[in-house]
Amino acid sequence: MAFNYDKYLRLEKMPTLWCWGCGDGVILKAFIRAIDKMGISQDDVCVISGIGCSGRFSSYVDFNTIHTTHGRTVAYGTGVKLAFPDKHVVCVGGDGDALAIGGNHTIHGCRRNIDITFIIINNFIYGLTNSQTSPTTPQGMWTVSQKIGNIDPTFDTAALAIASGASFVARESMLDPKKLEKVFIKAMEHKGFSCLDILSNCHINLGRKNNMKNAMENLEWIDSITMPKKKYDALSEEEQLNLLPTGILKQDTVVREYCDMYQDVKDAHQGKRAKITQDDFTKKI
Amino acid sequence: MGELREVISTGNDLAAIAAVDAGCEFFGGYPITPSSEVMHTISDLLPAAGGACIQMEDEIAGICATIGAGMAGVRTMTATSGPGVSLKAENLGLAQMAEVPMVLVNVMRGGPSTGLPTRVSQGDIKQASNRSHGDYRSITLCAGNLAECYTEVVRAFNLADRFMQPVIVLTDETLGHMHGKAMLPTVEDVKAGIVPRKTFDGAPEDYRPYQCGPTEAATLNPMFKGYRYHFTGLHHDAKGFPTEEIETCRKLIQRLEDKVMAHQDEIELNEEFMLDDFNGEEGEVLIIAYGSVSLAAKESIRHLRKDGIKAGLFRPITIWPSPAERIKHFTDMTKNVLCVELNIRQYTEEIERASGRLDLEGLYKVNGRAISPHEIANKVKEVF
Amino acid sequence: MAASPMVNPGDQPVWVNTDNCKACDICVSVCPSGVLGMKYESTSTLGAMISIDHPEACIGCNECELTCPDFAIFVADKKEFKDAGFSFAKLTDDSKERQAQIVANNYMSLSEQGVK
Repeated sequence: MAFNYDKYLRLEKMPTLWCWGCGDGVILKAFIRAIDKMGISQDDVCVISGIGCSGRFSSYVDFNTIHTTHGRTVAYGTGVKLAFPDKHVVCVGGDGDALAIGGNHTIHGCRRNIDITFIIINNFIYGLTNSQTSPTTPQGMWTVSQKIGNIDPTFDTAALAIASGASFVARESMLDPKKLEKVFIKAMEHKGFSCLDILSNCHINLGRKNNMKNAMENLEWIDSITMPKKKYDALSEEEQLNLLPTGILKQDTVVREYCDMYQDVKDAHQGKRAKITQDDFTKKI
Repeated sequence: MGELREVISTGNDLAAIAAVDAGCEFFGGYPITPSSEVMHTISDLLPAAGGACIQMEDEIAGICATIGAGMAGVRTMTATSGPGVSLKAENLGLAQMAEVPMVLVNVMRGGPSTGLPTRVSQGDIKQASNRSHGDYRSITLCAGNLAECYTEVVRAFNLADRFMQPVIVLTDETLGHMHGKAMLPTVEDVKAGIVPRKTFDGAPEDYRPYQCGPTEAATLNPMFKGYRYHFTGLHHDAKGFPTEEIETCRKLIQRLEDKVMAHQDEIELNEEFMLDDFNGEEGEVLIIAYGSVSLAAKESIRHLRKDGIKAGLFRPITIWPSPAERIKHFTDMTKNVLCVELNIRQYTEEIERASGRLDLEGLYKVNGRAISPHEIANKVKEVF
Repeated sequence: MAASPMVNPGDQPVWVNTDNCKACDICVSVCPSGVLGMKYESTSTLGAMISIDHPEACIGCNECELTCPDFAIFVADKKEFKDAGFSFAKLTDDSKERQAQIVANNYMSLSEQGVK
């Protein structure tokens, strides 16, 4: 017997509509293995995805699933999580969904540090709608909305998440599915907003239009722009310019999670504790 | 319906109190004049009752969190004004399509755009009918006095769960900020009248959330209870999964229309003020008005009657779907009809459609000021 | 509708579900041991289909299964396989060399001509 994925899949939706070699499938499998290893009941999980190829994620897995409007997964997730704080809420979005139209919600999900695991599947392009520039598309690459060459600068997703206040930030690529599985487990076990920058390959709508003729070459490119954090930290600024550090980039287990703090609000309103004041917080600004 | 109790409050506060009394457990909001007080008040009431209220980062996040909680299975609400509804339009459409029950209170203000944030209008009537793209039927209620700021919110929650879609409650800046006495049903009566959404109790493998008769609403079980299914804004099949199949798509959209229109009797609510003695004789004057304008209309009718003019008011409380048949009943009977609204003919056009008449008189105001009883009475005397 | 057959169809170290395979070549590219290759298949969208050419060389590293996006290839569970009396192969220079040739052959089986 190999690993039993069937239990977690909506089998009548198989095979997936993702292109041949698309990293989304690898990420999906790693996520399923992570849930299985953690022993979480399927009934206790809500998976929310946005618009885009990554948006189809939620329809393939047998959990409580929502396919929302473009960019709003974290906002929907906030509603679900606050209404049911003891359940697992996992949001999945692409780089366009999470960082362009959804940027504001991503920032505030991080800021609130609400206990949601946010998987940003970053394939550096708008894949489903065929090759428009995304906030992570490298400058100079060909996109259909900037055919003469992309001039838009890029986000560093992890830096954005860290600055916004997420208490768990990690970056991996789907080159190493075993590492992916481990980071999913760590992210879901972490109590707080876990923001994951998961690099993926879209060789159909980015790669083959930018001198990477197949999935393997796209994967090699991802390999060439990533480096484990320890090694990365030892490099000079110049050497770091075209590399993204991978691994767990931030893990703060001290800062309080939002639903936990909201329980204090409920308790205060119900007379079980005093009003909340600045003295309750170490950070006063 | 038992006895009533006297409460002194504002329209906005009453909307918040009504929600919590009606079993609301979640509010996802964003401040916008003149609705913010709904959020201020409910931010105290909800956590005290074990629920959750969150001020989100923008209007869109507000509606998304609200709908998310509704999908998870709790009674949920948000409050805003015209510009907020514009921002929320896309996601309200998702709630319509996925059949998620929720209540949205729109405290109307001067528009369009930033308009007159602290002044009254009824400029969102057409928007309430068609706030998002595509085909679906709006259920929109309009509070016409302080007490209805409470009772219409209670009714909205039951209608939302019955028809599995967003229900809009329109109030306006006048009612929202009006501070006065309201005669309300008791909390016990409200709680006894709660009719929660239908749920499926059979085996999970037999559960088909979106499989229902052509005039029925979906049966959406709360999450985390062993019934796993999919919500999406795409056209979907009986289990909620996306599909483009010809008959499935046609049936779905037709059902979204018919589930409301085939049961209008459960949604329609009107007030017929001083119309008992109308019989079609010469000189009768029918005024059609709704919301806070109806307060001035009623006062003007008392004056007109004193002056020997037989006037009466037809006031739709459910604005959408419109009470077309009842409107026609009165407009067929009465020659002199005056439509009064704080906008330019937004509901008048619906009254024209329902009545088949193009000769209706109108009194319209769009400068953020209320219409006084005198203005209505003088207009009646001027045109009839 | 295609299920993912986790059950070993025979007593194989590795097996495939051709209904799910989209011929992306990734599994062939990551196998260290030259076990896999693509064969021409006119009815498949990309004109090729996965083939297990040298199951006897499979070392059970599981890389193919982990990197397959489509639930198309499966590797026997190490413990179960051993308990059933079988064993995976060891990685040899020959199998490494064969793998290099398969990659150079654009991931096609060595019995097939190069470009798809």
